[in-house]
Amino acid sequence: MNNEVIGALSISNELVNRYPWLPSLKKYYAELGEKPPSEFISDIFANPESVQITKRVFKIFEAAFNNLEEIPDYSVDRLNVYVYLLLKIILYALNNKLITNRAANLYSKNAYSDIEKENDDFNLYNICQDLKLRIKYFPEPEKYGIKIIKDHKEIRKTRFTIYYIDYLKLASNLRDEYRKLTNNAMKDGYVYVQDKTLIRLIQEYVRNKLLIEETDDKASLKSFLRDISNIQGFKDLYDKILSLWSKRKEEFDFTFKIDIKSKEDMLVLYPPCIIEVLKKAEEGQNLVHHERLYIVWFLLALEYPVENVVNIFSTLPDFDREKTTYQVEYAKRKNYTPYQCSSLKSLGLCMAEKYKDQLCIEGYGSVDPTEKKQLKHPLSYVRIKKYREEYLKDRSKKEMEDIKNQND
Amino acid sequence: MTDFTYLKRLFQAYYQEKQNEIPPISSFNLREFGFIPWEKKVFMKRHMKFESPQELKDYILRDTPRHLYSSGALYLLPDAREMENKQFLGCDLIIDIDVDHFYTPCKEKHDLWICKECGNEGSGMPDKCPKCKQSKFTKIAWVCDECLNIAKNEIKKLIHDFLIPDFGINEKDMKIAFSGHRGYHLKVESEELRQLSSDERREIVDYLTGDNISFDLLGLTERSNEISGLLIENLGWSQKIMNKVEEILSKPKIEIKEMLLDENQFGLKQNLVTSFLNYKDDFLELISKGERNVWAIEGFGLTTWKKFLKVIAKQVGVELDEPVSIDIHRLIRYPSSLHGKTGFKVQEISLDQLDGFNPLDESNERLDPIVFLSKKNLTQKLEIIENKIPVTKIKGVKFGPYEKGDKIEVPHHIAVFLLCKEVAKTI
Repeated sequence: MNNEVIGALSISNELVNRYPWLPSLKKYYAELGEKPPSEFISDIFANPESVQITKRVFKIFEAAFNNLEEIPDYSVDRLNVYVYLLLKIILYALNNKLITNRAANLYSKNAYSDIEKENDDFNLYNICQDLKLRIKYFPEPEKYGIKIIKDHKEIRKTRFTIYYIDYLKLASNLRDEYRKLTNNAMKDGYVYVQDKTLIRLIQEYVRNKLLIEETDDKASLKSFLRDISNIQGFKDLYDKILSLWSKRKEEFDFTFKIDIKSKEDMLVLYPPCIIEVLKKAEEGQNLVHHERLYIVWFLLALEYPVENVVNIFSTLPDFDREKTTYQVEYAKRKNYTPYQCSSLKSLGLCMAEKYKDQLCIEGYGSVDPTEKKQLKHPLSYVRIKKYREEYLKDRSKKEMEDIKNQND
Repeated sequence: MTDFTYLKRLFQAYYQEKQNEIPPISSFNLREFGFIPWEKKVFMKRHMKFESPQELKDYILRDTPRHLYSSGALYLLPDAREMENKQFLGCDLIIDIDVDHFYTPCKEKHDLWICKECGNEGSGMPDKCPKCKQSKFTKIAWVCDECLNIAKNEIKKLIHDFLIPDFGINEKDMKIAFSGHRGYHLKVESEELRQLSSDERREIVDYLTGDNISFDLLGLTERSNEISGLLIENLGWSQKIMNKVEEILSKPKIEIKEMLLDENQFGLKQNLVTSFLNYKDDFLELISKGERNVWAIEGFGLTTWKKFLKVIAKQVGVELDEPVSIDIHRLIRYPSSLHGKTGFKVQEISLDQLDGFNPLDESNERLDPIVFLSKKNLTQKLEIIENKIPVTKIKGVKFGPYEKGDKIEVPHHIAVFLLCKEVAKTI
C-alpha cells in the first residue's frame, strides 16, 4: 500500500474493514477491484479462510430470510471485506429482487446499529467525508431550538448539519413524515440533524449500494454463472442459499397470492396506487408509513378480513405478526377512510401517470373528454370498474339473449 | 386579413426589430424548444432543437409563433420524439408564480365566470357555481396592478424568506422573469440542483409551500387535556409560523377580528374569535418569552389549532404552481418572447430591479413588457365579442368595462391586448 495515499486518508484500514461499503475500500484493497469477479471468487475459495467467509455470508442470508434485525455474530475483521464483496456477487448471481431487498435491508440495518454502537463522532464525520456527503461539524454543538416538556426547558442542539441536496438524495426515498424537509430545521442550505438521523441516512446509502437492479441481460448472467459454478465452494454456497430460499419463498408466495386472489381476483379492479403498494410488498420492499396506512385502510374499506390484510405485510423486512395484527385490528375498530386522490398526490403515492391509467387520468362519466368527471377517491375507482365490468357482462348477456331470440 | 394574421405580423415585426435583444439561454443547444402557432386547431409543436440562438431567431422570423417555450431540462438529444430517448442530463429548478392558481381579492372585480351548466354568472374565483353547485365555467381571467403586485410579493417572499436564507441559493444562480401575463417565473440554474429527481423536487416544493407540514412534529401536542404549541425559537417552519402569529397578534384587535372571521382566511366562529381576542395579549407575551408553550384558549381544541395553523402556514408559504416545479420535462416561456394571450413581453429582471418593477406601467423602457405602446398615439377601432369585459388599466389609463357589441376606439397597445385576449375583433 502506498504510504503517501494512506497519509492523505482520514479513513483507517480498520474502518474500511468494519464498513466495507465505504468508497475508500478501493484504496486499501485496490488489488481486489482489479480482479474480475470470477477470479476473485476462485481466489477466495482457494484460500483456507473460505470456510469462515462462506459461513458468514450464509448467516447473512439466513438472518435475512428469518426477518432478523441484526446479523448474528457479526465480526468486523479483515474478512468482513471479503464477506461484503462475496455477498454482492451472490446477489447479482441470484438476480432476485425479493432476496436482494431482504439482504440489503438487513445489511444496512446492521451497519446502522454498528455505527450507532460505536458512538464516535470522529468516525461518523470521516464516514460522511468518505461518502462525499457535504456536512458541517461543530465542535461546540450548534443550537437550533428548544424543547419544553411541562416546565422543563431543553436546548435542541447538534454537532452535525448536512447539505440539503445530499439530505434529499438519501431521505426523500424514506418519505417518513419526520424526515420531510418541511419538518426539519434548515439554514444556509444545511439541515440540522442528530447523530441518529445522520446514521439513518448512511443506512439508506448502504441499502442503495446493495440494491443491484435485476439484470435483463440474462445471457451475460448465465455465462457468469457457468464460469463460477465450476468453483465447488461457491456452487455449494449458492445452492445452499437457494435451497433455503425455496423453502421460505413458498411461504411468502403462498400467503401473498392467497390474500390477493381472494375476493374474485379484485386486482383488476384496483387503482394503480394500490397495485404499486402491493407490488412493493410482494417484492419485499420496505413500505413507508403512509403506504402501510393506505393499504390497510383501503383493504379494510373493501371488507377484507383482518388476517388477509396482515398477511400482505408478511413479506416485509420488519414484519411482526403480533404487532401488525394489533395495528390492523385497531384500524378496523376506528373505521378510517382511505386517503383521497388529492392526499395521495401530495404524499407522492398517486401512480396515475406512472401506470398511465386511463380512468385516473381521463376521468369518467362521459365519452366527451370535456364532460368527464375526475376521480376524487380510490374507492370510486373500484366502484366504477366494478360497474363497468357488470355493465359489460349484462350487455353481452343481453346481446346473447337478443341473438337467441332472433334465432328463435 | 384575419386578426390572428394581423397579430402574427405584429409579433414578427417585434422579433425583427428586437432580435438582438433576445438573450441566449444557458446550454442553448441542449434545450428542447416548443411553439404554439397562431393557426387554430394546431397544437403545440415541441421536440425541436436549435444549434445556435441565430438559428432560433431565423425560425421565429420565418414562422412567428403565438407562444415560444424552451425546456427547463437539458438533453443530449432534445429533438427526440419520445422523452425516454432524449437522454436527460438534468433540469433547472423552475418556480412558477401565477395568480391563476390562487385567490386574490381583486379577482372579485376582474375575473368573470359563466356556469356552463346553468348559465349563472358572476365574478371572483368560486370552486362551484353558487346556484347549481357544478364546477364547469367559462372564465375570463384579467390582469391588474393589484394581482401582479401580489404575485411580485410572492416571488420576493420565495427569494428572501426561503431560497436565500434556508436553501443558501446564490443570487447569481437565479433568473427572474415576468411571465407576460399574470405572474413571474424563477429559474435556478445550478449544476447540483439539476440532478434532483421529481420526488426530491416535491420535497423542496413542500418546504416552499408549507404543504404536508406536520404540526404534531413541530410540537403541537395534547397531553392530559393540555395543549402544547409551537416555539418561535425552533429554526425552520416552527419559527416561520410563530413569527407570523406574532405579527398577527401585534395588529389592532379590530383587524385581527376581521381576519379571523373572514371565510377566505381563518373562517372561525364568533365565540372562538372572542375568546382568541380575550387571550391575545397573554398569547403574545407567551410567544415572545419562550418560557412556556401551553396554548390555553377557551374553545380551542387540537382541531381548531390545526385549522388555525394551517391558515398561518398558507400565508407564510409561497403560492406556486406545484406541478411546474416537480415535472422535469416542462417547457417555460422563452425570455423576451411575446405572450400570445396579451402581447406583453416575457421580461427578465434582476433581483435589484424587482422591487421597483411595475409590469403594467414600467418607466424603464428596457424593462417595459408593453412593447406595442404607440409613440405616435395610434388608435384602433374594435368591436367587443365577449359578453362582458372588465376594466383594463395599462400605463395608468383605464379602458372599459365593455359589453358585447360595443364599438370602441383604443390605443394600439390596448387593441393588441384585447385582440390577443380574443375578446374583440377589428372593424
